[in-house]
Amino acid sequence: MAATPTLILTSSDGVDITVDRDVAERSLLIKNMLEDLGETGEAIPIPNVNEAVLKKVIEWCTHHKSDPPSTGDDDDSRRKTTDIDEWDQKFMQVDQEMLFEIILAANYLDIKGLLDVGCKTVANMIKGKSPEEIRKTFNIQNDFTPEEEDQIRRENEWAEDR
Amino acid sequence: MTDNAELESFRRKWREEVARRTKPNKPAPAQPRPSAPSTSRAPTQLPPAHHEALERKEVDDEETPAALDPGEIVQGVSQLSLQRPDEDGFDSQAHRKEPKSALEHFERAVEKEAEGNLGDSLQHYRKAYRLDAAVDKTYRNKHFAWAWKKNAQVAVPSTNATPASQQSHDEPDLLPTPELIASFANLPIPQADSLVEGTPPPPCPIANVPSEVIVEILRHVALMDPASFSRMALVCKRLAYHFAHEQHIWKRICQGSEFGFKAMHYSFACDIYGRTEHTLGSRFTPFPTSIPAQIPQPLSSWSEVFQIFPRIRFTGIYISTVNYTRPGAASAYQNISWNSPIHIVTYYRYIRFYRDGSVIYLLTTEEPLNVVPYINKENVKAARPSSKKQHQRQNTEGGTTVKGASDPVPPVAMAALKYAQLGRWRLANPAPTPDSEDTPTDLGPELPSVPGKTASENTLDPRDVIIEAEVISPDKYVYVLHLSLRSFSAANKPGSKIAPPNTPKNTKLAWKGYWSYNKITEEWADFTLRNERSFVFRRVRGWGMGS
Repeated sequence: MAATPTLILTSSDGVDITVDRDVAERSLLIKNMLEDLGETGEAIPIPNVNEAVLKKVIEWCTHHKSDPPSTGDDDDSRRKTTDIDEWDQKFMQVDQEMLFEIILAANYLDIKGLLDVGCKTVANMIKGKSPEEIRKTFNIQNDFTPEEEDQIRRENEWAEDR
Repeated sequence: MTDNAELESFRRKWREEVARRTKPNKPAPAQPRPSAPSTSRAPTQLPPAHHEALERKEVDDEETPAALDPGEIVQGVSQLSLQRPDEDGFDSQAHRKEPKSALEHFERAVEKEAEGNLGDSLQHYRKAYRLDAAVDKTYRNKHFAWAWKKNAQVAVPSTNATPASQQSHDEPDLLPTPELIASFANLPIPQADSLVEGTPPPPCPIANVPSEVIVEILRHVALMDPASFSRMALVCKRLAYHFAHEQHIWKRICQGSEFGFKAMHYSFACDIYGRTEHTLGSRFTPFPTSIPAQIPQPLSSWSEVFQIFPRIRFTGIYISTVNYTRPGAASAYQNISWNSPIHIVTYYRYIRFYRDGSVIYLLTTEEPLNVVPYINKENVKAARPSSKKQHQRQNTEGGTTVKGASDPVPPVAMAALKYAQLGRWRLANPAPTPDSEDTPTDLGPELPSVPGKTASENTLDPRDVIIEAEVISPDKYVYVLHLSLRSFSAANKPGSKIAPPNTPKNTKLAWKGYWSYNKITEEWADFTLRNERSFVFRRVRGWGMGS
């Protein structure tokens, strides 16, 4: 009777991190890989994710390891909860670069729940802002000419819904 | 041959002239141009601000000449409310500078009156007199001094003496919008430049995110608030492309109950006091998720469906502003017939729709600013005398109450809300089925239709809205409002290459009928619609977000 089975993940900067297998399997990428290859006992390289981000991701997976598995489908029930639970909100209080790193990692590792929380966090940063404020928030440059901007504004005016 | 030379030189001149006129800001050379009537040249010099104001009038005034300036309401409401300064103050760019001083208000009032816009005019007159009781004298001195002072300079020319031909100014050549947007497809999200030269630019991590994640983020934004989604389109080209092309997001919005058609009721969903109906039968929805949904003809995309298909908004209030005149009683002290006063009365009707099929209907003389932010079910119940216990059973709808519900409500709003009526709403059922009759409901007796007045379901327009509202006292009456969704038509500028602004659709509720029904005698009585004006939708911050 061994303790819970563990895996070793190697981050892009070459750091090995030991993690419980059921935690790691929140990532569909890792889960599918284990199912396909069987357990080799070797460290699994995660080439796109550095140590700091990988640790953050593992922290999230650990907290959510007993969540019901996502169906993977675009089902309505998942969408209905536009709120983010309190723990996740705290978890996502990181700087913007880290936030997007987490989102990219979740996308790469195929962790639906984490991707969802990340995207919602970004959506909350966008909600209620003017285009100029959104640009400021994300350091985006306005690449419209004034004429183009006016044209798009006219085209989309209906959706302002006022 | 000489003929040809002459023709040639004429052609050359003509081409030069055309070239000149396509560059609007170039000062015209002083040489005479006999072929051009001089009137058509003047307008390009006009201040653009005024131009926009003109245009706005055309759009708004289509059918409600006496309505309050909608922009003003929004401004008022947004001043009042809560957190962010920009959420729905999006329209302010379309505004002229608002008048500040009493004189400016007075001048604006005169102008509006000349346009025939009594509602706006009245607003400005009232403000002007509130600021300065003698403002009319000031105005006379400024504009009509020449009438009694011989040497005074000629009347100040009105800032807006605009020749009507001003529409014909030149516009640059533009790509049709769909093609323009399509050309944005694979552009990167551009990073902002560094603020200080020589330093690295500020980080722009969103630029590294792949499309599928951008779309995922956009979808969340859209489900939180479609208006925010539309603002994303103005951030940069790449996001404009996604806004126009991710039709599955629009489909999801249409099918959903957040802002879409799943929240539309085509039969009453609750009783007149707002108590929810419980039925096992599935309710009609135009775009069910269980079967592959069809885009209704003649629309071609889901964003068009969301835009054009009749839809009630929950994110704000529908306001109808009515001004009417009433002869006042002549005072006993100045019993002279030519001095008997005329009262100009302004009253407002407000309708707030809820997703659960209930509605709040309020008639008051209170201005939007004073009452709109407080129109919610909790406040309506709190404003009522406590004897009306039977209304307390209503289910309270969690997400839709204003966040600051615990904030004290000003007495003025409370006094007005005392007369708010609860009720229920539904849209005309576009597909009435005979078997819908036998679904048992606990809705209480359905009102019989007014003979010859309420049209039967088959003849209702799909845009029609029926509202039934309780009457508090005497409570034997029910009011029935028959309204119909309409749009403000966007006026195109004659000869303009630019498409008219794509204004929101179905934001107006026009009256079709208004009755009271006596539950005891089963009698119907007609209300006259002589004074009534259409309802106009205005967003209110914090209302109706989420499901």
